[in-house]
Amino acid sequence: MKILLADDDADRVRLLMQALAADRSMIVLRLHPGELLLDAVAAHGPDVVLVDMARPDRDALESLRQLSASNPRPIALFVDQDDPSFMEAAIAAGVSSYNVVGTPPPDVKPILRAAVALFHRHQQTRAALDSAESRLEERSIIDQAKTRLIRQRRLSEPDAYRWLRRNAMSSGQRIVDVARKVLSEAEDSRP
Amino acid sequence: MTVKPPVRFGLLRLADSAPAVVALQRGFFRELGLTVELSVEPSWANIADKLAYGLLDAASMLPPLALAAALGLRGAPAGLLVPMGLSGGGNTVTVRREAADAIASPNGPDDALARGRRLGQWLRAQRSPPRFAVVHAFSTHNLLLRYWLAACGVDPDRDIETVVIPPEHVEAALAQGQIAGFCAGAPWGELAEQNGSGRHLLGTSEIWANHPEKCLAVAEPWANANPLAVERLLRGLLQAQRLCEQSGSAEWVAHLLALPPLSLPAAAVRACLPGGSGREHIRFHAGLAWYPRCSQALWFLAQMLRWGWLGTEIDLPRAARRVYRPDLLAAAADAEGLAWPDATYTSEGGFCDDAIFDQPHPE
Repeated sequence: MKILLADDDADRVRLLMQALAADRSMIVLRLHPGELLLDAVAAHGPDVVLVDMARPDRDALESLRQLSASNPRPIALFVDQDDPSFMEAAIAAGVSSYNVVGTPPPDVKPILRAAVALFHRHQQTRAALDSAESRLEERSIIDQAKTRLIRQRRLSEPDAYRWLRRNAMSSGQRIVDVARKVLSEAEDSRP
Repeated sequence: MTVKPPVRFGLLRLADSAPAVVALQRGFFRELGLTVELSVEPSWANIADKLAYGLLDAASMLPPLALAAALGLRGAPAGLLVPMGLSGGGNTVTVRREAADAIASPNGPDDALARGRRLGQWLRAQRSPPRFAVVHAFSTHNLLLRYWLAACGVDPDRDIETVVIPPEHVEAALAQGQIAGFCAGAPWGELAEQNGSGRHLLGTSEIWANHPEKCLAVAEPWANANPLAVERLLRGLLQAQRLCEQSGSAEWVAHLLALPPLSLPAAAVRACLPGGSGREHIRFHAGLAWYPRCSQALWFLAQMLRWGWLGTEIDLPRAARRVYRPDLLAAAADAEGLAWPDATYTSEGGFCDDAIFDQPHPE
């Protein structure tokens, strides 16, 4: 069975290729940087295509069937559309799978499971990193707003923080949103 | 008091995503007691999948794709409903300058049919069928482009090669010579015109005057479980559509769409909004853009049948009626003081070939 991986994340591709390499009946191909998904599908004729949902070229892949009237090309359809809960898990993890009609791949489920598990783990790591980064960024915005309040309103540091907190509570916003507003107003009032 | 989870709303980087962005920014949803979270998606396939599998509740959608997804033409049949229209018009057919120059006819007739016939001559004179991009096979753009070409004696399956390119990449593809032309939504055609990489041949409202463009699609299980949220969502969008329709708001709307999360080119967007300098303008409220008329759905289905993408066994009026649900809009339209149209079906007209589309229907 030939599998084409359309995923720009080098780590994820490496891990998936490792996981699949145990089965010698499988040929795993990857999309090279800059290579068009449709060109790779036409060139390699994979049985299954696994696509990162962050890619914008899925619309092209799933339009093949309608647009190939005069130029017969492989036709793509979803693998596992008969298993809604598995599809939901895959989409939540950000991976979608297609198979080329006419060659229904046997025992494709373990491959898809491996892909979904990898995408899911990757997504959680990314989310943890993003949340750490955004907490740091929020702290820095609040600090800048405090500095500005200390200068403009001649407040002490604890008073500047209390000012932000009071305004946040009375307007039902988060402290960081009030801090952003302080900074943008200060910018607007510049000559 | 329990806090309801936010409504997850999907959209693409397009100027006709404005109603949802405006309703959120202007606080229309909040005033109605609704929290909405926007999710900018990289592909229409993502929107269709996420609606089908419960990762989005509602989205700005291509009507033919909503119908195709509901009919199971792409994966398992999806539970999608269309309770309102979000926009009309706004797309352009834009070609490389040499193609535009070759078919220009300063003295001859210059209506959509005459232009299409000259394009046909140019297409057949090329060594291989020139490539035209659309944004999805099941798009308004593809169906309107094919309708116009066929009306002008051009075979869209032989005289051009149709490729699918995401809307935000069509301008670059044209500039780099990968395609001869495209039919895409605002502001991408306008950007090609402004950058000098392309020239408009026509706006899609010259193919079908007053044609529907984006619709609102909602996930059926979510809509059934949250009728109140649906009504509030519709009301917020109706309010935003009215605001977007005013040319006096266009400057502000263009500025808003230029900010994250859409980050669109402001000048090109402005040209495509009501009162703008572009060839084609988006209708947000005018021409009943908000009303999901079942005969419009029937036209899209009839076009899909024409090109062999639907089995002849499919009962088109039933499919149209099952997906298009103007009844879900009635209460919201009433609350917003909108005059309700008389008929869910009319004979559709205003086509470039003067055809009248009058299919038998159940009512």
